[in-house]
Amino acid sequence: MSDRALRTTMIVLTVIGVGLASYLTYIHYAGIHPLCTTGGSCEEVQTSAYSKLAGVPVALIGLIGYVVILASLLAPANENTRLATMALALGGFGFSAYLTSRELFSIHAICEWCVSSAILMTVLACLAVWRFLRGEAPPVASSGEPDPAAPLTAAGS
Amino acid sequence: MSPASGTESDPTRKQRREQAREQRRAVEAAAAAQAARRTRLIQLGGVIGAVVVIVAVILVATSGGGSSTPKVGHSTSDPEAKTVANLLKGIPQSGNVLGNPNAPVTLKYFGDLECPICKEFTLGAFPTLIEKYVRPGKLKVEYLSMETATHEPEVFKTQQVAAYAAGKQNLGWYFIELFYHEQGQEATGYVTESYLQDLAQQVPGLNLPNWSAARNDPALSEEVTKDAQIVSQQGFTGTPSFLVGKTGGTLTKLEAPNLEEASEFESAINKLLK
Repeated sequence: MSDRALRTTMIVLTVIGVGLASYLTYIHYAGIHPLCTTGGSCEEVQTSAYSKLAGVPVALIGLIGYVVILASLLAPANENTRLATMALALGGFGFSAYLTSRELFSIHAICEWCVSSAILMTVLACLAVWRFLRGEAPPVASSGEPDPAAPLTAAGS
Repeated sequence: MSPASGTESDPTRKQRREQAREQRRAVEAAAAAQAARRTRLIQLGGVIGAVVVIVAVILVATSGGGSSTPKVGHSTSDPEAKTVANLLKGIPQSGNVLGNPNAPVTLKYFGDLECPICKEFTLGAFPTLIEKYVRPGKLKVEYLSMETATHEPEVFKTQQVAAYAAGKQNLGWYFIELFYHEQGQEATGYVTESYLQDLAQQVPGLNLPNWSAARNDPALSEEVTKDAQIVSQQGFTGTPSFLVGKTGGTLTKLEAPNLEEASEFESAINKLLK
């Protein structure tokens, strides 16, 4: 996968995340019930003691997180922005893991919106780590797949 | 021969030099790539470590673990504490209000923590109301103080303020519920400082130093006094007394002779929800 395709995929996932978190933030402040196919469990999670962290709704924290990740992806790609994206996505993954553990072990209810966001953040974190570890975009081989030996053989050919 | 061998050897030497240069470049590039990879792995490790630490801190801060875990006396593993924790888990609290702040119906519950009839309601009809109306966000319940069974005004104020102080951490209902669940015999003087401390230690997640500090807040004491003024305005004569109505609208008195059954409360709330 080329760096451009990887970045585009991550941007699309992040925009979906912004949409999800915006909806959850909106229903939190509007005081309305979330659309939920699992009965009242979404509402139970949304109104639980764990729906806020230090007085800030976790949905809003998530929205801010996604927006900052999006900003790091839209910034010119270099070592620093790739590191920032990875750090933010891993932070988001850790926070999602915390929230999911609260749903499972403290609230005993699952909110499908939160789970969707957690899955999204997990995929984003994996892609961000992959993108960071492979560094600069390697030359793309004719098949479209990066050639791991390209930097070395290119000099010798 | 010799010119021929010279023309053959010159390019070979050049080629060898070029090859050596290319090899050197390749080795340098490989070393640089390896160093960059090592740096990235170190950075990845650092980020993962930082995330783990942050999540651990959030977990401890929000779970009532660490210093706010009960140290002596009861713990949440006690049956009463467990019952209360199961009853209230996942329901938002704000001060003395239990339930969704935007709930369409409000119930004001005037009680004395030492009142045995309040205990009858709290352990009788109230859990049904919590599950049926409070948990789904249809009803919010506000607790107000009204002195009846507690004979010493100072003790009354101290115990009610202790509950309101837990409310400052949005855990007031844990304290109120635990008080009723573990209520002693009326007029036996069982409400002592150690009794209140013991109750506070059972409240999951309560920061004890902050709770102790809040108990000295004059605003909480004033709140108990204000509650008494509402009681006298409403002309209530016994506990528990109730006001019910649409949130933001006028609340009316709710008479419920049977406090162990939720049916009278349910019909009043259902009417308001229509």
